[in-house]
Amino acid sequence: MAKVEKKEVAAATPPWKPKPRPIVRLGIVLISHSLLVSVVCCTAGIVALFLLPMLAKNTYISENALMPGSASSMLSNHDISEAERLAKDLTSLNSGAADAGIERRRVLAKYLSDLGVEVGYHKFQSHQNQFHPLHFFSSPDSGLSRENGSCSSYGINVVGIIRAPQADGKEAIVLVTPFNFRKNSSSEALSISIGYAVFSLLSRVSWLAKDIIWLVADSQYGEYASVASWLRDYHIPVFSASSSHNADSCFEGNNINLSREESPGRTEISSGFRRAGTMAAALVLKVTDVKGQLEDTLSVYAEASNGQMPNLDLINVVNYLAVHRQGLRVKVEKFLSVLTWEWIWVLGDTLNFIGKVAGSLNPEWKFGISTPDYVEGTATLASSLYRQALGIPTGPHGAFRDFQVDAITLEISPKVVYTNQGRRNEFILRSARLIEGVVRSVNNLLEKFHQSFFLYLLTSPAKFVSVGVYMIGFALLVAPLPLVAASLYVDANKPEPSSQDPKQKLQINFKPWKWLSAAKQVFTVHAWGVFVSLLPYFISQIPNSTPAAHSIIWFSLSTFGLLVLYLITKSPSKPQKGKWENLKSLTISAVFIGLLLMSVVNFATAQIGALVLVPACLLAQPLKLDIRTASLKTFLRIATNVFISFVAFPPAGFFILKGVNEGFGNMDVGEFWTWLESLWAWNSATYIYIGMVHLPCWVLCLQILLHSC
Amino acid sequence: MRSKLPDAASSRKMAASSAVVAILASIWLCSSIAADASGSSSETTMHTNNWAVLVCTSRFWFNYRHMANTLSLYRTVKRLGIPDERIILMLADDMACNSRNKYPAQVFNNENHWLNLYGDNVEVDYRGYEVTVENFLRVLTGRHESAVPRSKRLLSDEGSHILLYMTGHGGDEFLKFQDSEELQSHDLADAVKQMKEKHRFKELLIMVDTCQAATLFNQLHSPGVLAIASSMKGENSYSHHLDSDVGVSVVDRFTFYTLAFFERLNMYDNASLSRLFNSYDPNLLMSNAYYRTDLYQPNLQEVPVTNFFGSVMETVHTDSAYRAFPQKNTPRETRIRTGNTAEDDSRRSILTDMTKAECPFTRIVSSLESKMETVGNLDSLVNYGLVMILPVLVVSVWLST
Repeated sequence: MAKVEKKEVAAATPPWKPKPRPIVRLGIVLISHSLLVSVVCCTAGIVALFLLPMLAKNTYISENALMPGSASSMLSNHDISEAERLAKDLTSLNSGAADAGIERRRVLAKYLSDLGVEVGYHKFQSHQNQFHPLHFFSSPDSGLSRENGSCSSYGINVVGIIRAPQADGKEAIVLVTPFNFRKNSSSEALSISIGYAVFSLLSRVSWLAKDIIWLVADSQYGEYASVASWLRDYHIPVFSASSSHNADSCFEGNNINLSREESPGRTEISSGFRRAGTMAAALVLKVTDVKGQLEDTLSVYAEASNGQMPNLDLINVVNYLAVHRQGLRVKVEKFLSVLTWEWIWVLGDTLNFIGKVAGSLNPEWKFGISTPDYVEGTATLASSLYRQALGIPTGPHGAFRDFQVDAITLEISPKVVYTNQGRRNEFILRSARLIEGVVRSVNNLLEKFHQSFFLYLLTSPAKFVSVGVYMIGFALLVAPLPLVAASLYVDANKPEPSSQDPKQKLQINFKPWKWLSAAKQVFTVHAWGVFVSLLPYFISQIPNSTPAAHSIIWFSLSTFGLLVLYLITKSPSKPQKGKWENLKSLTISAVFIGLLLMSVVNFATAQIGALVLVPACLLAQPLKLDIRTASLKTFLRIATNVFISFVAFPPAGFFILKGVNEGFGNMDVGEFWTWLESLWAWNSATYIYIGMVHLPCWVLCLQILLHSC
Repeated sequence: MRSKLPDAASSRKMAASSAVVAILASIWLCSSIAADASGSSSETTMHTNNWAVLVCTSRFWFNYRHMANTLSLYRTVKRLGIPDERIILMLADDMACNSRNKYPAQVFNNENHWLNLYGDNVEVDYRGYEVTVENFLRVLTGRHESAVPRSKRLLSDEGSHILLYMTGHGGDEFLKFQDSEELQSHDLADAVKQMKEKHRFKELLIMVDTCQAATLFNQLHSPGVLAIASSMKGENSYSHHLDSDVGVSVVDRFTFYTLAFFERLNMYDNASLSRLFNSYDPNLLMSNAYYRTDLYQPNLQEVPVTNFFGSVMETVHTDSAYRAFPQKNTPRETRIRTGNTAEDDSRRSILTDMTKAECPFTRIVSSLESKMETVGNLDSLVNYGLVMILPVLVVSVWLST
């Protein structure tokens, strides 16, 4: 902006005054009307967000090669009865016995080797997720320290690999079924049944172009940890034998020498790590018992770390096969509480009405959407946005995304817990046929999934909003920021009103260093933000303390740090005119930069952040000024400012959201700590955003509000 | 004298102009003779042999049907008598050995799996990445590198009937090769023109089964070319049915109904091209088949399909195997047909009718030519011509004065 002004000055002197270029003039017009522009843009941005469920498109299979459902299922009742025999053998083992887990593993391995496939055990050590401040965005391995742990924290996955009979073995498809070998769970046995039925079929077919890996993940230390450690070992080979030796010694101590176990089946059970080709896709299969369902339901979970999504085609294939071939009801997560909000229904009615009117005016305009659809879409969209913004994977599939493998979790829940064997077999048949169909479809792929979208929000299992659409709302929301920043800067550096000469008025009293103190302030606050974000690493080292205590220590240390910084950097000079404008201008610039950067890393976080920060920054004005000119307008502004700054404070915002969703009954101070802990444990960029963009900007807004001018 | 001066001048002028006219006339005559010689050669050249160039241009497993189309046509033309050495088969991918194939080394064009198209006797001349626009055009125009074996060349001559069948993914005036290249209608027309110039065919039937196939013929100008397309501009060509066992569509509609037509035929049948063309039902094809016949003179009702899809021709019995025989004026009585021991009179009558049925222009020119031959030498003809022109000149000068 300074450059633009300079040009103006230069252009004013010669007698033949050349017109500035249209883009410059447009910029000047926009800046001089920044208030109007910002009101229009922000409103449009928020309206665009609420229009997204209407603008959602139906999904379609974009990749020609997939051809889902073109092949008929080959799964037979024989496969299912075999699978049920396995499930019975697994569940009949006495769960109380100490070595039941080992025995179950052995039974499973025997069944697999009877199929003639390669079987292997994968030993892993469960790692506690720890906060490593420098490990955000880094490769998954670097966070791993292969330190010696106690033998008790070892888990063992069972891995079966089918080599594609006519292919080159360069690619693989992964099936994952989490299974706790120590516990006896009927739903997990059901998922093993389904997995085994598919696997035994695939071990016989001749049409495989990709190897099939079935990973029965030992879920006693969590589903994610076992899958993640297997993936790490798959992709990052260890050449020193220390780790595996360590594990082996553990098992020898426990009299379970897996490597020297006698081979009961057709193939050797290897102790070494078995690999196949690069992974084309992965399916995590789970069976859950959900009460009170009308029909068999398939829930699809797709969000991986930092809001990354698998290729939309994978979800499309699953959705297509589940709905059109197996007749399952597919659903994706949604915020049920949204369904109870009255105003959303009213909004849906309004949009429905507008759509109908538009349709009656011109039948070409078909953007009407029925009210229940709209509300459902909004609830799903909100959930999709929230899950992506959180940046925490919603299931074991998240581990695959870290290695750029497209993966989703399929959670199948039967209508009732089947006691009748016939009904149970039918359920297994349908689920296994779904998996078989997806595998066959992915098997047809020639390249990685690339044809369809990676950046999208789901509004229903068969509807999505692509990046090209949802970016519009965000762009509208942040567009006023640079304009307002520029206009504030111009205002702050205007000449004194004493110079009445119109010629003089054009000339801008250009003081390049006036904004420097404000910049210093902004920079210090951001440095404080970094300090606050790093604090939990040290606080979490304190032994034997509750999350509540952690929170309090953190809060007090942060406040103390802020005070110290404030006292150090406090300028001795008197506050001068235009100081708070400069500060606000720079704050807005910082917010703008922060939001843009975040929108590249994780769009959903940036979108939600912009909803809070943009109004907070734009409305911020010293309370003193408003109080001085007491009117209805200023009173309203004071109220809004106070409300927004309260909501924008991260812990307050967290508790309000939680209260809205779950009721304000039992609140614990420690919950906020636990929540943030989960963010950093999953290396979520949202944590960095909160610490380094949101919190500093909130503090700066507070400083503007409390400015003594 | 005075009055004679202009006369002398005019007579000189006249002489000059008459010389010019004479030269022009002689040039016209010569060129007409030459044109007649070349023009009549393609019209009257005997049908010597049949060739087929069968091209599947698309890769990838999900394009299984294109390979099945081409192999089905291959099987059909082979059954109808074109030998392997006269079939150039170009397959852009190997579905039979694709690891996704449930039936290794077999290709089917029907879900009933009665017929394995990829049986023992399949000679693929260009396979995989060899199927390029460049190689395709080289095959048509015969401009190969010297290392290319004879089996990969289209060694046709001016009496050849060529069937060119192409299938793949196409669009408005193009056909996609290998998912990376395009053959445009200009390229095709250019290649056909070159073939015509190089006397590489007598008649050419181009059959294309792609989306918007008709557009591929827009630029064709060479005579003797007949074209059939599966769909008009703006239309798609659809697959016929899905084999849920193999998991892919196995044949395209146009090719399926073409094959259905040929399955009822044997080598000795007299089905005409117009019967083939009329057999396409737009409702079954879900597109409109297109025929371009304006470059092709014979009446389609009289041209048997085996002219292109088979190899049924006359052989000429000669006493000595090694003496060259003139192509014209062959005694009709000695003609025997290959591969046909049974008597087939109706068939023969069509053949003879065809050779008799010449267009009037050709007849005049050929009679002129024969007269020319009786004249003996051209000099006297030119002299006669000059003498003939003189009275005309005198009359015209008299009229103009």
